[in-house]
Amino acid sequence: MNKNVIRSITVIAVFFCLVWLIGLGWAVGEYYAGKPEKVPEVNSVSKKAENKKGLTIVALGDSLTRGTGDETGKGYVGVLIDEIKEKTKRPVQLTNLGINGQTSAQLRKQVQQTEIGRQIEKADMVLVTIGGNDLFRGGQGLADFDTGEIAAIEKKYLENLKFILEEIRKNNHNANVFFIGLYNPFIDLDQGKEMSKVVRHWNYDSAEVSAAFPKIVFVPTFDLFELKVNDYLYSDKFHPNTKGYRLIAERVASLLTW
Amino acid sequence: MNKLIQNEMMKLIAKKRLIVIAIIIGVLVMLFTYAQYKQVQTQREKLGTSDWRTILQQQIIDTTNRLSSSRMQDEWKKQLQISLKQQQYYLDHDINPAEPGAPTFMRIFLENSIDLFLPLMVMVIASDLVSSEHSLGSIKLLLTRPVKRWKVLLSKYITLCLAISLIIAMAGILSYLISGSVFGYKGWGAPILTGFNVTETGLNTSEVKLLSLWKFLLMDFGLVWFVSIVVGTLSFMLSVLIRSTAAGMGVMLAALISGAILTNMVSSWETAKYLFMVNLRLTDYMKGTAPPIEGMNLSFSIMVLFVWWAAAVFVSFFVFTKKDVY
Repeated sequence: MNKNVIRSITVIAVFFCLVWLIGLGWAVGEYYAGKPEKVPEVNSVSKKAENKKGLTIVALGDSLTRGTGDETGKGYVGVLIDEIKEKTKRPVQLTNLGINGQTSAQLRKQVQQTEIGRQIEKADMVLVTIGGNDLFRGGQGLADFDTGEIAAIEKKYLENLKFILEEIRKNNHNANVFFIGLYNPFIDLDQGKEMSKVVRHWNYDSAEVSAAFPKIVFVPTFDLFELKVNDYLYSDKFHPNTKGYRLIAERVASLLTW
Repeated sequence: MNKLIQNEMMKLIAKKRLIVIAIIIGVLVMLFTYAQYKQVQTQREKLGTSDWRTILQQQIIDTTNRLSSSRMQDEWKKQLQISLKQQQYYLDHDINPAEPGAPTFMRIFLENSIDLFLPLMVMVIASDLVSSEHSLGSIKLLLTRPVKRWKVLLSKYITLCLAISLIIAMAGILSYLISGSVFGYKGWGAPILTGFNVTETGLNTSEVKLLSLWKFLLMDFGLVWFVSIVVGTLSFMLSVLIRSTAAGMGVMLAALISGAILTNMVSSWETAKYLFMVNLRLTDYMKGTAPPIEGMNLSFSIMVLFVWWAAAVFVSFFVFTKKDVY
C-alpha cells in the first residue's frame, strides 16, 4: 500500500479529530455561556400571499370542530370539506384548530395568538363551534341545574363570544363566518324540557351577538336533534355520531354561496 | 511512536473496514432521505399546504388534543407538554424548527443516530482492534519488538480515535451530499433555538439562544464525536479483556441496546443515571427535550461518560501491560 495514501488519510483524520474537538468544546461552552448574547426577536410575520388556487378554511372551537364521536374521525368539518371539494372541484386547505373541551374563555385566548390570527386572516371561510362546554360542562350543567348560575355563565360566555367574533372580523373582513349553534343532547332526560329552554335562550342570544357583525351567520342545530336525539348521538350521549355530524354538515353546506 | 501509528493505520486501511462503514452509512442515509421525503409529502397532501407555520400550528393543536386524553401516562404527558411549549415558542418567534434543506436533515440524522447507529459503526472498528491480533497470532510478533507494551496499545488507541473522527466525518459528508440532492444544499444559516431548560415545573425558556444552524451542527458533531469516542473506548477495553471478538461485540451490543430501551423506562429508577448507556443522547440537551431521568443535564452526562471513559482507558492499559501472552 502506498505510504502517501496512508499519510494523507492520517492527516485528514487528525484534522477532523481537531474539528470535532472544537465542536465539543464549543457545545459545552455555549451550554454554560450564561446569559444569551442575542435574545431572539419576534419578527413581524411575513404576509406573503398563499397560493390562491384553492380555498382556505379555518375551523375554530371545541370537540365538535374536532369531530369527537365520529367513527370516521371527520366530524362535521370533514364531511363539509368533502362536499365542498366535490362541488367546487377546487383544492381545499383545511386548518382545524378545534381543541377538545375548549370553552369560550379558552377560545378567547386562542384567537389572540399571532399565528391563529394569521390563519384566520388568509381564510376564505371560518367555522366556529363554541359554548357547549360553557353550558353543559360535560354533563355537570345538568346535575346542578340552577337558572341563576346559568345566567351568570351565559353573561360571561356572551362577552367572550363578542370578543372572539370581533377578533375574527378584525383579522379578516371578507370571509364568511359560520357560527354553529348548540343542540340539547339531554332532551330525552328528566330535565330535558328545562334544559331545552335554556339552550333555546342561549342560542337566541348567540344569534343576536352574531347578527351585529357582517357576514357572520348563526347556524341553528337545535331542531336537527330535537326528535330522536339518541339516533344522532355517540355512545357518550353528548357528542354527535357520524349521522349527527352529517346533519350539521349538510345544514352548513346548504348555506354556502360561491 | 509515529511509525507505530503509521503501522496501525496501514492495518486499518488494509482491512477495508472504513469502506464498508462508508457504504453502510451511505445506504442508510439514502433510506432515511427517502423516508423523510415521503413524510414531508404526505404531510403536505394531508394539510394541502407547504406553509410551515400552518403545519406547525396544526401540530400544536393536535398535540393539545392528545394531551386532553385522560388515559395518558404522566411521563409521556410531561414530554408532550414540553415539546408543545417548545413548538409554541418557535411559532411565537416565527422560526421554522425544521428549515428544509440538507443541514436540517444532517441535524435530525445526527440526533437519531447518536445513541445507537454511530456507536455501532464505531464498534465495527474498535471491538477487534486488539483481540484480532490474538486470534491471528500476530500479537506475539508485535510484542517481541523492542517497544514498550503501553506504546503499542497507545498507538492502537490513537488509531481508533482517528478512525472515529473519520467515521463521524463520513457520516456528515455523506448525509449532506445524499440528502442535499433531494432537499437542496442550502440552509446553513437558518436560525435554530437552543438553551431550553427542562425543569420540574416544565420548560424554562428564559435562557433560550438563537444560533445559526452551522454552529449548532458543529456542536452536535462535537457531542456525537465524544459519545463515539467513549463507546469506542469501552469496546476497545473489551477487546483487550476478552480474546473473542464476537463475545466482546455481543457485550457491547447488549449494553447499547439496553440503553436505548432503558431510556424509555428508567425514570423512576434514579441510580440508573450513572450507567453510560442512558447518557448517550447528548444532542437532546441541545435541543431541549426532557431527560430520561430527572436531574440529568449536559454536564452531568458528560461527566458520567468521562468517568466511564477514564476507567476504560485505565483498565485497558493496566491489563494489557500486565497480562501474559501465550
